[in-house]
Amino acid sequence: MNRREFIKDVAVGSLILNFNPSLFAQPTFPDLALIQGENPAALTRKAVASLGGIGRFISKGDVVLVKPNIGWDRTPQQAACTNPQVVRILVELCLEGGAKEVKVIDNPCNQAKRTYLRSGIAEAAKQAGAKVLFPNRHRLKKIPLQGEWLKEWEVFTDFIEVDKIINVPIAKTHSLSRLTLGMKNWLGALGGNRNQLHQKLDQAMIDLAAFFKPCLTVLDAYRILIRNGPQGGRLSDTKLHKTVVAGTDYVAVDALGTTFFSLSSQDIPYLRLAHQKGHGEINLDKLKIEKRTV
Amino acid sequence: MKKERSKKYRLIQGLRILSQTIFFLLFFYLLLRTHFTGEDYIGRVEIFFHFDPLLAISTLIASRTIFISFIFAVLTMVITFIFGRVVCGWVCPLGSVHQFFSFVFKKAKLLKPKNSTDNRLAWKYYLLVFILVGTIFSLDLVGIFDPLSLLYRSFSVAVLPALSQSFDAALGLLYQVNFSFLADGLAQFFENLALNATFLQGFFIGLIFIGILLLNLSRERFWCRYLCPLGAFLALISRWNILKLKIDRQKCIECNLCNIHCETQATPFPEEKWRSPECDYCFTCSSICPTSAIGFPLESAPEKIESVNLARRKLIFSSILAVVAVPFFRLSPSWKRSSPKLIRPPGALPEEKFLQKCVKCGECMKACPTNGLQPATTEAGPEGIWTPVLVPKIGYCEYYCSLCSQVCPTGAIRALTVPEKLKVKIGLAWVNKNRCIPYFLGTPCIVCEEHCPTSPKAIKLVKTEVIRPDGTIKTPAAPVINTDLCIGCGICETKCPVVDKPAIFVTSIGEDRSERNQLLLPLLKEDPEVFE
Repeated sequence: MNRREFIKDVAVGSLILNFNPSLFAQPTFPDLALIQGENPAALTRKAVASLGGIGRFISKGDVVLVKPNIGWDRTPQQAACTNPQVVRILVELCLEGGAKEVKVIDNPCNQAKRTYLRSGIAEAAKQAGAKVLFPNRHRLKKIPLQGEWLKEWEVFTDFIEVDKIINVPIAKTHSLSRLTLGMKNWLGALGGNRNQLHQKLDQAMIDLAAFFKPCLTVLDAYRILIRNGPQGGRLSDTKLHKTVVAGTDYVAVDALGTTFFSLSSQDIPYLRLAHQKGHGEINLDKLKIEKRTV
Repeated sequence: MKKERSKKYRLIQGLRILSQTIFFLLFFYLLLRTHFTGEDYIGRVEIFFHFDPLLAISTLIASRTIFISFIFAVLTMVITFIFGRVVCGWVCPLGSVHQFFSFVFKKAKLLKPKNSTDNRLAWKYYLLVFILVGTIFSLDLVGIFDPLSLLYRSFSVAVLPALSQSFDAALGLLYQVNFSFLADGLAQFFENLALNATFLQGFFIGLIFIGILLLNLSRERFWCRYLCPLGAFLALISRWNILKLKIDRQKCIECNLCNIHCETQATPFPEEKWRSPECDYCFTCSSICPTSAIGFPLESAPEKIESVNLARRKLIFSSILAVVAVPFFRLSPSWKRSSPKLIRPPGALPEEKFLQKCVKCGECMKACPTNGLQPATTEAGPEGIWTPVLVPKIGYCEYYCSLCSQVCPTGAIRALTVPEKLKVKIGLAWVNKNRCIPYFLGTPCIVCEEHCPTSPKAIKLVKTEVIRPDGTIKTPAAPVINTDLCIGCGICETKCPVVDKPAIFVTSIGEDRSERNQLLLPLLKEDPEVFE
């Protein structure tokens, strides 16, 4: 390159930058994706794509744990456990994105085998290529959670030993935390007498969510449970909401989830508390939400 | 003379061992399969019981009802009538267990077979008479002694749980030595088998089983020879015995080996003394005979049956004993008032009928997905020992599960479809306000309400003013029970965080199967004022 060519290139380069300054800037993504439509699988794919694709959250060779809610011996129509199609797509996406292994695990309230099979999650996740694991007592370990209140608890080490965690809760009502969304889902990673955590549930949820730090939260609101939560039972307890929400700010995801129940994040004490302590945003006006229909 | 063991009978003996192995494995497979496999209905895993004529007849007499599945027992009776007790020697899984241990004890030189001439063979007949006379008075004790009940109960409540505990300990070791890859796989495999590992009476039922196995140190197949009431029953109907023992006197060297090794003391030599009803056709005598002198040719002609000497006085004595036993078994207060802890599985018949039918086999306890069904100790009185009760502190009744009712071999628990089961009340939950965390500390806890499976929930949370220990007043949401909606499944008790003595507990009152064990007069339920 001679001097003349150099001057010419610099001039052209400056000109381009002058008209297109974003070329060197980081691409920006919405904080939350709110996708609505008929097919839970398509909603999930679109939600992750809207946030920039799975590659933004996991790296090649990662071992990823997908944590659905498999808490209850209920069928998908009863909306007590995460929609199996949502789980399936997340497993597929992780593997497509180069994950070395995807594990699916939860510590249910009813017999593990019944919840895994009757929720449809075990089959859907296995088909997608995940390793579906029953919680194994021997893998429980007392872990320093370093929470503000919850200092340590027995955690299934499966959750500790993976590179990335994706949280896949379902949106339901709950008589103590009012709603069970993403942050309540972490009780499924615990052993011990976890029912005692209800004595200060809001703070426990905040400490647990901060500890597990999911790289992505995908809230299944395809069919939500509007009463008699967190188990429901009758189909009339559920409502077809046909929505999937995804985001990296787990507080924000839950905050958006409250609107499906005609509530606001300000109505939910644990969200107010989480926001106050700087764990995430609950003011929806401050969030960039990408709404799409597929 | 040429000394040679019969090839033919050694082959038959081999076939017999093969048959025993197959039937034992079938028993074991069906037992392992007695759990939630992914389907709501699991098919006839209890089929073995329906071939048992002793259970068929005693249940028939005791309950005065016909249970159609027992039709297969006729087949066993026909086979036994024609061929003798081949079922004992070739099929019975408990017989195979005894034969196996007898064999092991013999090989280990712990048991020296001898030519027994005692008359203990008669014991089992007296026991049979005792059981059958009892059933006339609807006292059904057959389940304690029937070989299949004994075997299933021992395996469900003691052997499999002990194995499960051992596997668990082995897994722990594997993790300690960092073989976690292997251990992870095994742990998933065992979780899939869903073995229940906790039983209130596991230790004692296991002890009895081990005791019965150790009897083989005294005599081969001690149980089968002297104690088995089913064996006695089959012996009584083996009248034709188409395979007849013949000893070739030209070849016989009178070594007495056949008598010494006869595992049921049927005295093959001399053949006139052969007790065909005691013979279980194991073909040991014909295959160990050093000169191939013993054979079992087909001979259809009936013959004089050499039976065990049964003393008439002792038979009468056994009958009288049974008659006397009946009122003794019913001295317990369980006959006067329902026991609060007697929570029967859903579908269980009214108590009186239930006791007439339950054979204490433990199939329901094996099938129970939560380990909640436990063998009763005293809850149901002496006659109800080892019958199933739900112990919610250990495990609850899973809402969408009706497996226990499906696997009951006698219909003591009526087979229910899942939708039918959802409507059955087995008891009622009570809150102990002195122990319940919101009621006495004012601290939030909604665990029972959260787990309550009915819709709408039978446990409601009501803001309640409570005085805390420090004198301050709080109004936490505290649980109250809707007696109409509660089905008594007990998950609230299982999951209550007050673990030692749960603050919410289930008792049997309100159970559908009882008319008397009810809280409110049914008439009141139609009276709107009560629930204002």
